[in-house]
Amino acid sequence: MRRRILVRLLILVVAALFVFLSPELKNVSRETFAAETPTNAQVSQSLTCQCGCGLTVANCNMPTCGFSVPVRAEIDQMIGKGMSRARIIAFYRHKYGEKVLSAPTAEGFNLLAWTMPFIALFVGGGLIVLAFGRWRSASPSLPSGANPEGAADSFDPELKRRLKRELEERM
Amino acid sequence: MPELGKLALAIALILAVYSIVANIYGVRRDAPDFVVSARHALWSMCAMVTIAVGALWTGLLRSDFSLEYVAAYSSTTLPTIYKITSLWGGQQGSLLFWTWLLSIFTSIAAFQNRRRNPEIAPYALAVMAAVAIFFLGMLNFVTRPFDLLATIPAEGSDLNPLLQNYWMAIHPPSLYTGYVSATVPFAFGAAALITGKLDDAWIRTTRRWAIFSWFFLTLGNMFGARWAYEVLGWGGYWAWDPVENAAFMPWLVMTAYLHSVMIQERKDMLKIWNLSLIGLAFGLTLFGTFITRSGVISSVHSFTQSGLGPYFLTFLIIVTLAYSALLIFRSNQLRSPADFESYLSREAAFLFNNLFLVGIAFAVFWGTIFPVLSEAVRGVKITVGPPFFNRVNGPLALGLVFLMGVGPLIAWRRTTADNLLRSFAAPVILGVSTGVVAAALGLREWYVLTALSLAAFAMGTIIVEFRRGMNARRHLVSEPRVRALVNLVAKNNRRYGGYVIHVGVVVAFVGIIGSSFFRTDVKKSVHPGQSFTIGSFTLRFLGLSQIETPHLESATARVEVLRADGREVTVMEPAKLFYKRAQQPATKVAIRSTPIADLYLVLAGIDDTGETATFEVFLTPLVFWLWAGGLLMVLGTVIVMWPNVRERAAIAAALSASRAGAPAGETAPGGE
Repeated sequence: MRRRILVRLLILVVAALFVFLSPELKNVSRETFAAETPTNAQVSQSLTCQCGCGLTVANCNMPTCGFSVPVRAEIDQMIGKGMSRARIIAFYRHKYGEKVLSAPTAEGFNLLAWTMPFIALFVGGGLIVLAFGRWRSASPSLPSGANPEGAADSFDPELKRRLKRELEERM
Repeated sequence: MPELGKLALAIALILAVYSIVANIYGVRRDAPDFVVSARHALWSMCAMVTIAVGALWTGLLRSDFSLEYVAAYSSTTLPTIYKITSLWGGQQGSLLFWTWLLSIFTSIAAFQNRRRNPEIAPYALAVMAAVAIFFLGMLNFVTRPFDLLATIPAEGSDLNPLLQNYWMAIHPPSLYTGYVSATVPFAFGAAALITGKLDDAWIRTTRRWAIFSWFFLTLGNMFGARWAYEVLGWGGYWAWDPVENAAFMPWLVMTAYLHSVMIQERKDMLKIWNLSLIGLAFGLTLFGTFITRSGVISSVHSFTQSGLGPYFLTFLIIVTLAYSALLIFRSNQLRSPADFESYLSREAAFLFNNLFLVGIAFAVFWGTIFPVLSEAVRGVKITVGPPFFNRVNGPLALGLVFLMGVGPLIAWRRTTADNLLRSFAAPVILGVSTGVVAAALGLREWYVLTALSLAAFAMGTIIVEFRRGMNARRHLVSEPRVRALVNLVAKNNRRYGGYVIHVGVVVAFVGIIGSSFFRTDVKKSVHPGQSFTIGSFTLRFLGLSQIETPHLESATARVEVLRADGREVTVMEPAKLFYKRAQQPATKVAIRSTPIADLYLVLAGIDDTGETATFEVFLTPLVFWLWAGGLLMVLGTVIVMWPNVRERAAIAAALSASRAGAPAGETAPGGE
């Protein structure tokens, strides 16, 4: 019974993680970004610099970078013209392809990128729960209602002596 | 010198091969002389690799450009310290450095085990020698550090300017030390599998090695982050670059291992899991090297890229298959006695902690390789960058911090409801109050509120644990508070050192939250005398000064930092550098660091007239605490590693029990 409750609890936790994740997925898949004027940093964090540095356009700080420096300037101009974050990003995606995005879109094959870590976590958690169940049924446990903290009362004298000796050593 | 280096590497390779043959022959035929001879061969191998390293360093210090490596990674004007660090600045040198560390650690392991572990040590040393053979093979046949140039150039190409920084002098050695020392516990784990000696003797023998490896992986990651912060000039310290990820994954797995071995030491459980984790940690160190050197995934760390990828991949596959086969072969003997009572127990907390640590490692691995997967499946190149990693790892990190809070206060075997309430009431109140106060102060992001609450909760449990221990001592031996605290830590260094590490992690976590969510930045072009503001600071550009040395040209800006009331805080001097030999520009940032926030100033550009300077300024709250957390983790590890008489006795007992064939847990106290 308790095991079933725990399994359900685990499912709830994983579901909660997906709920947490969903706003970002929604953003990425439909590119329904906030309507208010974006900042350069918000847009350039979503784009990857193509100079080979592997950083985002926002983070590439190579003074003479042939990609991030002009792109940041272009983004400023596009923001000045009132373009939304989604439109600016769509412009660069159209121009350079998917590789210019700093995160995978949440569509098709790319969905695997977003979901696999959580699926793995869920499977791992399930395995732990299963293992616990097996171990617990095979494990000699204290009688129900026994208080492990009061268990010292039932120690034999030799164990008590050993406990006292080890306590003295530690102290 | 080059000839000496070549010869030394060739002899080292022969000695490594001989040591494997002699070790295995010696232990299988019960011929101790061969085992001793193998040990001597390993020490000699170390001496030979040391000679090779000395030869390359000599070439670098003498600017001997007849050596291809020296010509490619050094110059006559390169400062001496960077001539020394050039050893790991390029492909061949860094592999030689790796091999040197491996030979040193193998020698130390051989020395430590000259009179103990007679059954598994020869196999463990053979495994280490096999790893050394791979690297020595590369150095002798594939990527040779002592290759000569047909025409000797008058000047070298210089070390990459990004590597001419003191953090780069210590970041790669720390990381390499962490990577390479993971070989020792891996080799003993493999030896335990080969010999069937599957009690926890191998874990106890290599526990310090595992902590040592973890310690240097921690340092390596921290130093790398600090290097990125100071050198790359974008105001951040972690970009989820594939090579950063490659260093982070073994750290995560090694952290999981250090927790889960406690369950094996205490309850003789999780043998397969622990052996798998140490195998995985070692495999990930090889994977990291493969990523760095193969170029299959584009990275900011392209300093050592080459065509070595296939060799590393092949070696990685061989190691993985061989180790997995051993695990499967021994799986029956690795079955553990079932001894588990409740989910409300420390062993359960440790297992879930393992789940989250390995889960994060998997998420990082998945994100790192996904571009390759995408290209293979869809033929479309994609990028997996910071937004992905932050979003996926964010919730997992919260789970981990929560478990870090639960672990210290929950009992082994089973915790009663009363005990839970008694132990966790204060930390929970602290956590909730922190969240409420943060919300009252105007913080609205739910992630930040949750993260701060959990950090406070975790810190609360550690404080409660220290307080309990102190009170117990004061009660039993009537010590004053401070002495009780000192003795508590000194006599239980492994346990309380571990808690100090936890404090460091929580402090670093708070630093990461603050710096990730509340950073502000401003970019301004100004003339001398003009000012601009960021946060409560006013920055006034005073002027530029130019300096030229044979090695570089620099333009340094002087910027006066003022408070709102006009009081001067400091003068900051960011600079733009131009390295003449490499013909590369670089940035030198100026940082004013306080526990509240870092003011981070970058001289982003100077116009053609030399009058207008463009500055990029970041105000990053709490980033100071990331580094402080790192220092606390270092302190905690030193406490954990501090020699402890009781622990040594436990190791001796475990080893003698292992020799007698009894389960070690029965005779040796497990510690914490």
